[in-house]
Amino acid sequence: MTCVELQESLIENDSGGTAAQRAHLRDCPHCAGLVADLLVIACAAGELRAAHEPGPHVWNSIETSLRREGIIKPFARRSLLPSLTGSWSWTGWALPAAAVVLITIGILVRPHAPPPGVVTGGVTSQPASDAALEASVAGLNDNDLLAEVAEQAPALQAQYTENLRNVNDYIRDAKYSLDANPNDEDAHRALMDAYQEKAMLFEMALDRSLP
Amino acid sequence: MTDPQQKQPGDALEAGLIEKAKQGDAQAFQALYDKHKRRVYSLCLRMTSNTAEAEDLTQEAFLQLYRKIGTFRGESAFSTWLHRLSVNVVLMHLRKKSLPVVSLEETTQVGEEDTPKKDFGAEDLALAGSIDRLQLQKAVDDLPPGYRTIFVLHDVEGYEHNEIATIVGCSIGNSKSQLHKARMKLRDLLRMKRSEKAQKS
Amino acid sequence: MGGRLIDVGVCSAVLAVTMTSGIAAAETHKELRFNVAPKAALSVNNPYGSVSIKPTTGNVVVVNAVLSSDKVEVDNNFAGNRVDLQSHLLAGADAQSGRVDYEILVPPDTSLALHSSSGTLRAERIHGDVTLEGAAAMVELRDISGAHVHVKTLNGPVTLTNVQSGYVEVDSLSGNVTLNGVNGPVVQVISTSGGINYLGDFGDHGEYRLTSHSGNIEAIVPDSTSADVSARSVRGEVHDDIPLQPKQHTSFVVKEGSAFWGTMGRAAVSSTVVLRSFNGKIHLRKRSAK
Repeated sequence: MTCVELQESLIENDSGGTAAQRAHLRDCPHCAGLVADLLVIACAAGELRAAHEPGPHVWNSIETSLRREGIIKPFARRSLLPSLTGSWSWTGWALPAAAVVLITIGILVRPHAPPPGVVTGGVTSQPASDAALEASVAGLNDNDLLAEVAEQAPALQAQYTENLRNVNDYIRDAKYSLDANPNDEDAHRALMDAYQEKAMLFEMALDRSLP
Repeated sequence: MTDPQQKQPGDALEAGLIEKAKQGDAQAFQALYDKHKRRVYSLCLRMTSNTAEAEDLTQEAFLQLYRKIGTFRGESAFSTWLHRLSVNVVLMHLRKKSLPVVSLEETTQVGEEDTPKKDFGAEDLALAGSIDRLQLQKAVDDLPPGYRTIFVLHDVEGYEHNEIATIVGCSIGNSKSQLHKARMKLRDLLRMKRSEKAQKS
Repeated sequence: MGGRLIDVGVCSAVLAVTMTSGIAAAETHKELRFNVAPKAALSVNNPYGSVSIKPTTGNVVVVNAVLSSDKVEVDNNFAGNRVDLQSHLLAGADAQSGRVDYEILVPPDTSLALHSSSGTLRAERIHGDVTLEGAAAMVELRDISGAHVHVKTLNGPVTLTNVQSGYVEVDSLSGNVTLNGVNGPVVQVISTSGGINYLGDFGDHGEYRLTSHSGNIEAIVPDSTSADVSARSVRGEVHDDIPLQPKQHTSFVVKEGSAFWGTMGRAAVSSTVVLRSFNGKIHLRKRSAK
């Protein structure tokens, strides 16, 4: 196989893994360098996925259009304030769940999973049925987070540990309130806020843009 | 993009949000938007290289999705549906602007101009281990639109060649050929950038 | 993703940075200029060091960067009216040698997205959207108008001064948040353990929601304020020094010392204010006349 033939063959077999390609690459540092470069480019391309965030006004415009078109129902008007109407239902859980879904974004942006079995001293002060479990349902748990921080930014570990403990307390209190008053929209909102805080903690810990 | 048959752990949670959105719940719409906005916007930005257009297209993609959300039955992953729709929105936009979404040439042969020069004596400019996101982003922005489309769909978004062929309306061979040429072009751009940098310093 | 070339593990190996560490050189300056169209976007990702944004006339973005050593580079990209700047840490860079301090002039309508771990993020006199994110970074925003402002911090203090007609959202795990003269249709602060201080008039017919799990919340407002205010702390104390017209219908039981709900000023033109905590104290007080 000549260099030209090798390069033509990369169209069909881009990893250079066929027997003929391997034979050529063994003897041709030039083509070996080329294949390595193309692999690096293909690998690095994944970094461009979800690399940017649209401006906040984009959602604002979407929401305005949805309301104008009647797709967002008037009774479901977004408000930062607790609604005095409507009753609590199972679907209300979808909203705190949304925050947990946000945590899954961390999985997408995480450069690689922490080493299996790494335990850095969990800080989950609540039972397994609480936030830690829900985070692990999304593929992560608190120990994953701390392991990641330990690996990427050990200097920040103490901060993350303390914040994680605090936010878990927040979730625990909010859940307790909600359990005590299932129809209390205030309690519902507090749980949302608590999950949002935890989602943010995960996002920050797993964001490669931060050291 | 073809393997999301495998349900992810967050799917049940997302399904709850979709049901709420079908009922017109604003917060559910926003939660879905928050989860997917970066991916959709980045796709639009990479394919257009223009922030204002990318934001408009992101808005359009979500609006189209939300208008149809009542018809979503969950047979496919929501994210797959959204990203396919987003790609279509961008391609439609590019076509309106008369920009080629894919090169017209169908050959799978590597052209003479694409054959790398034998420069064994040149300084080693191998890229391995040294591409960062901004460098690559800049190089992708500099790609001809046709190459860029295929590269973004395959290497960034993870679509298979048969899917790309369906989406953009070309042959599978053409998709493969364009991808190879896009990577080769990117390599040239990145090496050129490195060479300039080396000369400066 | 069967179409990917090789698996992530191989990618990581291929991409591993193998540069050897060198001796850090003295600090260097770098200036960059970008001619932009109206409503440009600027993003800065600076792990260590400060970012300061100020307005300029003309459609140009001027970047002055001070690099503390040769272990860090400034990568830039300008495409589609968007300027991206990234402090690129080289092998062996740490918080000192990897530090870059940016002073950037932008057209006032530029949208900003600034990220830092530890340096101060500062922006003033801008009316494009502003997104600031940092771990321990101090965040200071001043004289912003008509913009969406999103701030996320782990434990850095956040100070927003004179932010008018804004859609303001601040998420802070443990940093204190101070809002001085901040108003708009939506002003929301969520904190886990940081304190929240609001000085202003809750104007603009807005919805204000200040929430902290264990931090204290204090709002100091002038007599002229018109607002429907509810406050509630599960375990902390709640005080108000301002006479409020109590609400007849409330969605929670108003217990003396742990909650209040009432109207101050003219209800017809009021904003709505929600103050919530679990363990922190909440205090609504009147600004003393000078």
